[in-house]
Amino acid sequence: MNGLAFLSPGAARAEDGFAPRPASPLQRALEGSTGLRDLSLLGKVELRGGEAPDDVEAIRITPHRVLLLCEPERCAELLETTSGLAIDLTGALAGIELEGEVLMRRLTDLDLTRLPAAGKVAGVQAVVTSSGGGRYRIFFAQEVGHSVVEAVRDLQEGLA
Amino acid sequence: MRLPPQANELIDRSREVVFSFEGKPVRAFAGDTIGSALFASGRRVFSRSFKYHRRRGLLCCSGACPNCMLTVDGTPNVRSCVEPAHDGATVEAQNVLGSLDHDLLSIVDKVGRPFTPVGFYYRTMIRPRRLWPLYETFLRNVAGLGRVDKRRGRTTRYDAENRSVDVLVIGGGRSGLAAARAAAADGDRVLLVDENARSFGEEPFEVVAPACALGIYEGGLVPVAAGRLLLRVRAGRIVVATGAVEQPLVFPGNDLVGVMLPDGARRLIRDFALKPGERAVLIAADDRALSVTEDLERAGVEVAATVDLREHDPTDIFAEGRRGLLRAVSIDGVGHDCDLLLAAGAPQPAYSLLAQAGAQISYDADRGIFVPGGLPAGVEAAGRVAGEVGPLLPTRACHGDGGFVCICEDVAVKDMKRALAEGFDSIELAKRYTTVTMGPCQGRLCQRSSIRIYAREQGTDEAAIGTTTARPPWTPVTLGLLAGRTHEPARLTAIHHRHVEAGADVIWTGAWRRPHSYGDAPAEARNVHETVGVIDVSTLGKLLVVGPDAVEFLERLYPNRYSDLKPGRVRYGVLSTDAGRIMDDGTVARLDDDRFYVTTTSTGADSVLGWFEWWNAVWRLDVEIVNLTGALAAVNVAGPQARDVLAGLTRADVSAEGFRYLDAREGAVAGVPCLMLRIGFVGELGYELHFASPYGEYLWDVLRDRGARPFGLEAQRILRLEKQHIIVGQDTDSESNILDANMQWIAKLDKDDFVGKWALEQAQERGPRELLVGFEMANGTVPAEGSQIVRDGGPSGRVTSSRWSEQVGKAIGLAWLPPDLAEEDATFEIRVNGRLEQARVRLRPFFDPAGDRLKS
Repeated sequence: MNGLAFLSPGAARAEDGFAPRPASPLQRALEGSTGLRDLSLLGKVELRGGEAPDDVEAIRITPHRVLLLCEPERCAELLETTSGLAIDLTGALAGIELEGEVLMRRLTDLDLTRLPAAGKVAGVQAVVTSSGGGRYRIFFAQEVGHSVVEAVRDLQEGLA
Repeated sequence: MRLPPQANELIDRSREVVFSFEGKPVRAFAGDTIGSALFASGRRVFSRSFKYHRRRGLLCCSGACPNCMLTVDGTPNVRSCVEPAHDGATVEAQNVLGSLDHDLLSIVDKVGRPFTPVGFYYRTMIRPRRLWPLYETFLRNVAGLGRVDKRRGRTTRYDAENRSVDVLVIGGGRSGLAAARAAAADGDRVLLVDENARSFGEEPFEVVAPACALGIYEGGLVPVAAGRLLLRVRAGRIVVATGAVEQPLVFPGNDLVGVMLPDGARRLIRDFALKPGERAVLIAADDRALSVTEDLERAGVEVAATVDLREHDPTDIFAEGRRGLLRAVSIDGVGHDCDLLLAAGAPQPAYSLLAQAGAQISYDADRGIFVPGGLPAGVEAAGRVAGEVGPLLPTRACHGDGGFVCICEDVAVKDMKRALAEGFDSIELAKRYTTVTMGPCQGRLCQRSSIRIYAREQGTDEAAIGTTTARPPWTPVTLGLLAGRTHEPARLTAIHHRHVEAGADVIWTGAWRRPHSYGDAPAEARNVHETVGVIDVSTLGKLLVVGPDAVEFLERLYPNRYSDLKPGRVRYGVLSTDAGRIMDDGTVARLDDDRFYVTTTSTGADSVLGWFEWWNAVWRLDVEIVNLTGALAAVNVAGPQARDVLAGLTRADVSAEGFRYLDAREGAVAGVPCLMLRIGFVGELGYELHFASPYGEYLWDVLRDRGARPFGLEAQRILRLEKQHIIVGQDTDSESNILDANMQWIAKLDKDDFVGKWALEQAQERGPRELLVGFEMANGTVPAEGSQIVRDGGPSGRVTSSRWSEQVGKAIGLAWLPPDLAEEDATFEIRVNGRLEQARVRLRPFFDPAGDRLKS
């Protein structure tokens, strides 16, 4: 018993004739959608009580906790090298990127001028960041991901 | 029918709009409201009143009163005087039997009035009591507003949008605009909302109109109804500039068609170029209202008489009409023929939103108006709402004996007097008894009059009577807007779609959707006993407890011991509350010295996480708790062939010796790193595999390929019952403790301390009140869960779980029994469908009591 490899999607290996394929929890919900980018398989590492490396996007959740966003391949290195407790939450959080301030205002009561922030989006707890140019990224528990996408698509319809 | 173009008219004469009213086309201009267009077409009667079905016409032209309510495109109670006319709209009268001009229900006014005073239905229709449903149906049919068309379904889309601003200004009049401009000049983000459809010029801030602020809630939250969009505005500062509302005078005939508020007539002239009448009489109490004479003259309306109530407050005003239309008015005995009577008392500051926010409302006896004061932080009043309504004098409560106080609900002066005579002496009680102020105007036009009448009748003043509590919504709002889009987030496991594809019967379990079965639960259970099955258990709560104090933390939380749990081993655990009651159960796997992997029940995951975090904050131990519930998918591969299946998928040693019962191992399964726990909730050789959720479908497919057949919750419930494994919340309730649940072995009362220890010690000393034990039925009948245990003809326990077990060949279950009955082979009776059926206590598992198969 050593690491927590069972938490890391990136630790799966093709071996003994097996070829593991990760699937996004939003795969079906996003079929036929427009303007939504799936961020579910983006690397996400929660860091508690450690220093976030300078070259990684870090969203502070609490004074003690930081969410690091990275390319999936980068997770292993971050888990290895950062100080403090680092947990691979790639599988825990689904995410989408979308465009439109009005759409966002119908999804959440978070103040969009003060991002990143955590709060309810489409009725579920989420972390929201701005990617500039009226684009936003939303991260939420993967098990409710389909429901968030449904809400987003319904609202897109209402705005169309 | 229109006047020559007015300076600031809202209509665009170059664009025509056509809608239908009662099936006939009505031509309007763009910018018209439905009300102004109908008035232009010659219509004067717009509605029939709530109770007496009296004719009513335009009164305020500002959306405050109920007189112009019509059904528009199937939506009832639309205030047509502020509803923009749009092409193709279908407009219909409401609350009439027949037509607006010939409403059969007006018989209530003509002959029924003496018999229908306020609250009559409580007195005259109370006997015989069994007929009340008939009376009620009848009353609801003849009184009221428009009807909701229940067959229409969801035809209209409503949305809600959140807005955060520095300053919200409610009301776009002079003061509101000034406040908004000043705030914008300071660099604040400003939003101004105004209930009128008028256009605003280029302003350095955002304007939403027409839109009504419905209330002011805690934390500066203001819901704003903007058509089919509800804005939830959160503002650092709220400026209320809702102005003042002209107050109707109370006199006989004050509801005749042709009696209007001065501002209403002014709007018809200025905004819609309409001539409100031919010959007018004006009675008003302030300069602004009196200045309407200029508009009237410009529109060619002859002004027969003008009364300034500050100079002369007449004793008697009496309006006469024919077929509900005004013909003449007599003022202190002096008669004037007229078809338009503009009558208003002193304007009343529209303080309702301020009162909702917590402002103090006091009576200004010198001017005869209620004014807001003591505003809460972050809320301001600007302009007329703050009391800036010019020089005023108090006027009479009523001008003559009679007339309506409340035109929304047809509450007459005599109704108020009667309520008082019957003992409803506070204004709050009067409101509830007479329904004054409870109609669509929400007291805008009747609150002050009703208070004033109560004050006069009781020989006191308005300050002593006080106001009623202001509550949202301040403006009528459609239910669709309040309900908005319904959206209930369900939790789906990473494998969910595979279950659906396999035809599973998916049910709610807490917030999760889970397969109940894949069509044949007994066959699924049989398969687990005979070959190998697989069940999706991703819904289990999963927590990582990490840190130097992790052992100490768990020792304090659980009644059993974890300090002696070796890395790589798993132990069952039950969490107790401080009161010793069973809270949740699950397994604890020790990954290494200071890392533990804890599972909880599916429905208990959130509360256990909260419980852990709460105690961690209390004890301040060096422990981190990480919620991994959604991060990991989990499956249980169970059955005599489970080992063979697993052996073909992993390089890890899964031999009986290398991977014993209650061992925990990490290893790749089909290339996916897994935490493997050898545990057996379903009673057969089994492995729980926990792994990163993105591989849920992949690993499920691999296991299916290797022969594992899926089983659902129903099969799991049969299998676990064969082992007498409890389900917290099903077999236990908020009163159950570990000792009574027959799990004495798990409570280590020799430990220093743990949550619930004191309570369990007391319970032990007291002895069990009842015990949870297994039972089998004598004749194979399966009693319903919840069935009563009967002893000496009385209830003495209950069945918590019951199933038919093909494996055991019996109907089996778990039940709470009196301790003296809870002995092996004891017999007792269960009431099943009214009959008593024999059952026998079984203290040991029905299947594999020694656990040979489980541990094989």
